[in-house]
Amino acid sequence: MEDLGLKIFGAILTTIMAFTVGMTYGGIVRKLTARVQNRYGPPVYQNFLDLLKLQSKKTNIAHGFMGHMAPVWIIIAAVTVLMFIPILNGNLWFPNLSFHGDLIFLLYMMVFGSLGMALGAGQTGNPNSAIGVTRGLSQMVGYEIPFVLALVALMIQFQTTSVQDLTQVQHETGVWNAFANPFAFLAALLASLGMFRYSPFDIVGAPAELASGPVSEFGGKYLGTMMSGGAVFAFIKLTLYVHLFFGGAGNPDDSGILATLAGIGILLVKTFLLYMIPVFYGWINPRYRTEQAIRYFWGWPTALGIVGVLWAVFFN
Amino acid sequence: MNIFFLLITILFSGALLVFLINKVAPKIGGIIAFATIALVSFLFFTQVDTGDTYQFTLGEIPMQFGVTPYTYIFAIIVLGLGTLASLYSIGYMQGKKRLGYYYANFILTVTGMIGIIFSQDFISFFIFWEIMTWSSYLLVIYTGHKSQNIGMKYMIFSAIGAYAMLTAIVSIKANYGTYNIADAIQNGAFNFSEHMYIPIMLLIGFTVKAALMPLHVWAPNAYSKSPMAFTSIFSGAMSKMGILGIGLVLASAYSYTDHENVNYVVALRYTLGWLGGITAVMATIYALIQTDAKKLLAYSSIAQLGYIIVGLSTGSELGVMAALFLAIVHGIFKGALFMVVGAVEKQVGTTDMTKISGLIRKMPFTFFVALVSIIALAGIPPLGGFVGKWMLYEALITESNNYFLVIVIFFSSTAAFLYSYRFLFGLFLGQEEKDTEHVKEAPITMIIPMMILAILLMVTGAFPGILFEPIAHGMHYLGFSDVNWDMSILVNVWGEESNMTYINLSIGIVFVAIFAFLTIKGYKGTKNVGTKDISTGGEIPTENENLTYQMDFFKPFERAAAPLYKRSMNKIWNDLGNALEALTDFIRKIYSGNGQTYALFVVIFLVILLLFKDTLFAN
Repeated sequence: MEDLGLKIFGAILTTIMAFTVGMTYGGIVRKLTARVQNRYGPPVYQNFLDLLKLQSKKTNIAHGFMGHMAPVWIIIAAVTVLMFIPILNGNLWFPNLSFHGDLIFLLYMMVFGSLGMALGAGQTGNPNSAIGVTRGLSQMVGYEIPFVLALVALMIQFQTTSVQDLTQVQHETGVWNAFANPFAFLAALLASLGMFRYSPFDIVGAPAELASGPVSEFGGKYLGTMMSGGAVFAFIKLTLYVHLFFGGAGNPDDSGILATLAGIGILLVKTFLLYMIPVFYGWINPRYRTEQAIRYFWGWPTALGIVGVLWAVFFN
Repeated sequence: MNIFFLLITILFSGALLVFLINKVAPKIGGIIAFATIALVSFLFFTQVDTGDTYQFTLGEIPMQFGVTPYTYIFAIIVLGLGTLASLYSIGYMQGKKRLGYYYANFILTVTGMIGIIFSQDFISFFIFWEIMTWSSYLLVIYTGHKSQNIGMKYMIFSAIGAYAMLTAIVSIKANYGTYNIADAIQNGAFNFSEHMYIPIMLLIGFTVKAALMPLHVWAPNAYSKSPMAFTSIFSGAMSKMGILGIGLVLASAYSYTDHENVNYVVALRYTLGWLGGITAVMATIYALIQTDAKKLLAYSSIAQLGYIIVGLSTGSELGVMAALFLAIVHGIFKGALFMVVGAVEKQVGTTDMTKISGLIRKMPFTFFVALVSIIALAGIPPLGGFVGKWMLYEALITESNNYFLVIVIFFSSTAAFLYSYRFLFGLFLGQEEKDTEHVKEAPITMIIPMMILAILLMVTGAFPGILFEPIAHGMHYLGFSDVNWDMSILVNVWGEESNMTYINLSIGIVFVAIFAFLTIKGYKGTKNVGTKDISTGGEIPTENENLTYQMDFFKPFERAAAPLYKRSMNKIWNDLGNALEALTDFIRKIYSGNGQTYALFVVIFLVILLLFKDTLFAN
């Protein structure tokens, strides 16, 4: 029982860490974007203030059953996926279930939250929300193709479908997968632009066009909960990419406090640098139309992904 | 009396009774139909063991009835779904005309399927196959002359399949001297060594029913124009008869093939796999542009059958298991979804998604069933659909060299999210319009079977082992030795697993925690509002403002995928039909029916004879 208690404690701790990191990154991006646009910008901790404000609202507007369920589904997806990805490679402090769910499971579980969001937005009856959802789903069909091609390339190159094993391979050989299969990496990197939904792929929220799209009818505790889920999700995507392509973080042989802290430090540096790629790309781009966005992903990223798969087949 | 005969007799007499009693007491027809099928299910699952056989001769042909572990899997689908669909029919068909005709043909279709499952020789197999085809044809044209053309298309394609199958059956008798299915397989009828056309002809017959491209064109209209209570078994169970045949042919072809011929089998598998993949993609992208919910589901059925065929074509343990698992689960969720559409049709009067929206508050139970089924259809954890999809992907990635087929399948199932959302949004979400204010929840006899199916989907997600057990037995019969399965853990050949227990636990715990948090927190301050109480970009909409968004739902996607929409198999078949018609028109010019023309032909013939008499009759 003591073991189980420790695991639950660890799970809660992991969630809190993911939440904090995700929120802080969001705040940093807001600040940086403001500076690039020659504004002063909000403080880095502004997201926390926003969340506090939203959660302490006295009245909340509920839009029926699915509207009530949408934030629940987002949190379910975020926390469950978080439990099934390795935070630090082999570290004993972070209990994870990554041996009990592999990449295919993660791919599908990550959609769970989006579907809940889509259904909740649908029930509000706001046409902008529904339009945003159709755009989001269409764009997903776009970027999932290169992303899955990249994942398939990695899976067949290293004969494993587990994230943990893919990290371990990089730890053992010392070669990052970004270099072991550069084409798959590029395909996944381009796909990540769509995943993070910064410009030119911000067609779902589309400020000044859809009035923030799917979330437009949510407020108070609902919006606050969604925000928290979104923050955890940002951390999840970044961590997944770091573990898949950038050698992961953490030393599986050493779970001491110092090594763990060093591992977290490395994870933060890597994730932050990775996060800056879609953000930088977004600063210099206007917004695509939906079909342009889809076509973009079916073009070069998909071609690179196919080369990645061939690379994995022939140079294996 | 032998149990197999007893079951078939019960079904036939039930059909006859329902037809006759309709004149006297039309109201109890549905109850009799339900009682008949329920009784047969009860007797089957309590009295029949796999391996039981019964031999008899008809004319001088030895026939054999029995149940193999493999066909037992399909008996579960047919009898389970058949019972629930007949219960559902009672509510759905209430107030409709020609009930005797409907219920008699309903029972006959089930009889046909059960007969196919029992048949262990090709003759009875073919007879029951035709009973199934004809009775389902009569139900396709149930709505009258408007569906005549649709029924004709279905009949033509079924006939193509039936003739192909008959040719194969006769050839098997001629070459291997037996009608018995097991004997024919053991004598190597499917092994590609000498009579390659036999398995191919059989596969053509089966793929028509399984709606595989290019023989699928009958399916979208036939599925959507039949009464929905019937479509739930038409798509859910009857298409699986095609899968039954394909699985049998493929597995036997592989198990009984010499190493020299193995390349043919592999080529056949690749062809089928890619056909399945292309079917899945094309059906999916056509599903997402439909505005009629029935047609959307019809196309989605074709796509799902594509996955199943892909799974069978891998020939690996995990792949075939995935295919059979998907076959059962598809029966459950597609049966449920067609029932949902039927309930909407019954209560609202139309299934056109551009005309209705916002039914969630009026039909909450129906919505719940639709939601659960759609989650299973989309393959999202933790329901049964995910289990099947997971195994299919893992099989393709780990055990086949068909890496690009994975991408094709993945494209199709990601695009499936689009029509899944379209379905739920189109019928249940969105603006609540005044036209649908009067709508009420469907009657209890329709809700119960739907709910049972929804619960089954949850159970198969948490404990897929319930279905793995019969599937493993069936696969053992097909020649797979040592089929591994576990109650709640899915494992691929590389040793990676998905543990449904952990997944369900994680989802369950978080669900309870967050749901409680959101509900309890500020409970008194939470105000429930309708769909008119919204702000569109800062403005409050007026009372009569039209805010329904249903037309051109995925227009951007359509634009992006425009090249894919250019090809249409339907057009190719129509062109072929027109070409045939032109040919017959031309022949009609020769055989004009005019005496003078024929006289002219005679004269011309004589002239030719005279002119060439030296060369023709030289000796």
